[in-house]
Amino acid sequence: MPDLLSILLIAIFLPLFPMSMVFNALLENIKPNGLRVLLFILWPLIGVLIAINSEFVIPGWLLPLALSTSLLYAIRLLTLREVNQWTGFLATSTWSLLWLPVIEGNSAELLYGFAIGMSVPLVLLVLLAAGLERRFGAAYTGLYGGLARTIPRYAGVLVTVVIAAVATPLFPTFFFMLDMVVETISTTPSAALVLLFIWLFWSWAGARLIQGLIVGRASHNKIADMSIASISFYSIVLIVLMLGGIYLAGAIL
Amino acid sequence: MERLIIAVAVLPLISALFIQLFAGRFGRSIARLSVAMTTLSFLLSGLLLALAISGSENLAIPLGSSAAVLLFDPLSTLLATIILGISLIVHLYSVRYMAEEAGYGQFFVLLDMMTAALLFMVIAGDLITLVISWYLVGVILYFLLGQDTRSQTAYRFAFWTLITYRLGDLPLILAAALLFNAYDTWSLTIIFSEVMANPDAHQVLGLPLTDVVAALIGLAAFARSAQFLLHTWLPYTMDGPTPVSALMHAGIVNAGGFLINRFAPVFIHSSEVLHWIFIVGLITAIFGSLLMLTQNDIKKALGYSTMGQMGFMIMECGIGAFSLAIYHMFAHGVFKGTMFLSAGGVINQAREDDGIPKDELYTFAVEKRPNKARYPWLLMAVVTLLVPLVILVFAHLLVSEDYFQKQGAIVLLFFGWVTGAQLIFATYKMRSQNVWRLVGLSILSLLIVVLGYVFISHAFDQFLYPDAAFQAQLYSAANIDSLSFDVLVVIVTLIIVSGWGMTYFSEQYGHRRAQKSKRLWLNFYALISREFYVSDVYTRLSRTLLTMSSRLNVWLRWL
Repeated sequence: MPDLLSILLIAIFLPLFPMSMVFNALLENIKPNGLRVLLFILWPLIGVLIAINSEFVIPGWLLPLALSTSLLYAIRLLTLREVNQWTGFLATSTWSLLWLPVIEGNSAELLYGFAIGMSVPLVLLVLLAAGLERRFGAAYTGLYGGLARTIPRYAGVLVTVVIAAVATPLFPTFFFMLDMVVETISTTPSAALVLLFIWLFWSWAGARLIQGLIVGRASHNKIADMSIASISFYSIVLIVLMLGGIYLAGAIL
Repeated sequence: MERLIIAVAVLPLISALFIQLFAGRFGRSIARLSVAMTTLSFLLSGLLLALAISGSENLAIPLGSSAAVLLFDPLSTLLATIILGISLIVHLYSVRYMAEEAGYGQFFVLLDMMTAALLFMVIAGDLITLVISWYLVGVILYFLLGQDTRSQTAYRFAFWTLITYRLGDLPLILAAALLFNAYDTWSLTIIFSEVMANPDAHQVLGLPLTDVVAALIGLAAFARSAQFLLHTWLPYTMDGPTPVSALMHAGIVNAGGFLINRFAPVFIHSSEVLHWIFIVGLITAIFGSLLMLTQNDIKKALGYSTMGQMGFMIMECGIGAFSLAIYHMFAHGVFKGTMFLSAGGVINQAREDDGIPKDELYTFAVEKRPNKARYPWLLMAVVTLLVPLVILVFAHLLVSEDYFQKQGAIVLLFFGWVTGAQLIFATYKMRSQNVWRLVGLSILSLLIVVLGYVFISHAFDQFLYPDAAFQAQLYSAANIDSLSFDVLVVIVTLIIVSGWGMTYFSEQYGHRRAQKSKRLWLNFYALISREFYVSDVYTRLSRTLLTMSSRLNVWLRWL
């Protein structure tokens, strides 16, 4: 397969602008939650699978394009209010950075590890958004707010998942970002700087999402909080994710 | 020893986990567990500090087979004890203070996590643990400040804190990445020993690595310690619970001073960075103090007071007095923590009785009616200028004869002299039956303060940097050439003396002030009352970014 064609194909799954729009358009049109979850798990894995099985010369413009895509979606993330769309944009911003280990020639295991570690918090966020839609009719920041008082357990889990998604220690995306900064600082210091700003925008967007959902007065309506079984599920996944992050750190740092 | 250090850092984490799991079952009594664990951790850290004082060897303790390392050294043991001491007081205070608040258990979880993050930060022996704990302090503080989840304002300003802290994380991460690339290790001990052995071994973009890393560490410290232009979060984060304000002002905000101390071996080999640190600290101290004096909101005034103090702390690092910065951090922490924690009680008392004695101090400071009596000006000038100088020189000579060979020491002496002279100058103007008694008492208190400060800071010096050669290197790294130094001293002296002169003339002939100077004064006041428009500029910039984000989304049809 010619190089450019390979790259274009991979660019759909490890999103590069404008191919990144394919994933977000698909996400907008898929309504069943099961399919959305599947999409978030499989999409980057397909990209990694094609990337490691294709032989192509990496052009010089790929790194700037990957970083620009990530930065573009990180900036756009700041003003998104719909949680599913927010998750899609964060996915686009994080997955586009998977090009960096591809360019660096990291092992397939590590690439799969990165992809899974980045996607799991996004999957959890999709599930939580579905829960919000069931309870309030929409998963939208600033619309109802006050989740911390109305459904405190749900709000607690939501906050932790958002924290995990925006590359906070000790979750895998944090170690991925740290590793990428270490890898790029000596060869392309400007790339390391862009990475750090992308990271900053994720935190900013995460804080805006949290504030729009959890802050405010309690709702007058009685709304069911998260069940103990669901909390246990989310807690176990998050603990495994954190342990995975520490394991990943051991492998890469 | 190894187990002791691990226990000190891990106990608060265990407490946080236990409260998170069992808060529902044990209710509000769960706070006692948190207090007990913090007490135990504090006692253990005290034991470690005693071992360090008794001269135990410095240790780097690896955590299992990972790259994580914990340090046992004077700096880590001293700061761990201070953090746990302040944290324990805040815990004890919070048990009743927070009793009526929602999320009582969650508050103690966050408090314990914050204590653990701060402990890991000060005992980190590797760059990864340091970066992780540094990062987590900002995240946990965000949620502590937003404890009242009903308050949009609390979250708005907690967000300011978070974003400033995240900005401060970036240079630290860059510094860590550069050091790892250069030395192929995360261990601080190994990196520092290699830097000491061969400081010019590595370069970044044509600059010495030590300079670049020192500058990045300085930037990280500025954001954490609210230095000018990165300070706006500090005076506005008063919507958080009082114990959090106490912890923040007494402990968290001091982290910049710690970071500079931790990287002292790098700063020794950096050329100009300490001078820049001094300048930033000086500007912060001046602006912080100026803004503190002009606030009509007592909490914001306290916030700006902390900013000014942080400026002094960073300035001390800039003149090479690293251990003095740690002493300042400790003294300011205790002082500011007490102010915050006793604020509620004072307000309650003041509602019943203002308790202000209508004495000389009240007449002078509040009613602004100075003494009109005249004393022989030459005698007063001599007392004002010479007495503080004699006290300072005498006290410093007691601890070290070669003290005045260091430029940093002269700067400190200079500040002490100006402060002392200002104190005595103010005393004459108070309405008093016996002004000489008042002056005598001022001089006595100055003597006690100066002796206490000199002896304690000397003890800190000996404990934190026992190697005299290293200590001397710290001071010499901050030196500038003698001629420039002397010229600067003369200029600053002239500025201060003309300031006194202006004050005198303004009081004597203030009523004749020209219309033009009045307008100038009002413009200056407007500038200060808008806090130099710094937060307005940031608000405008962030709005521009959000508008751009929104437009991009519309143009790209939300895909």
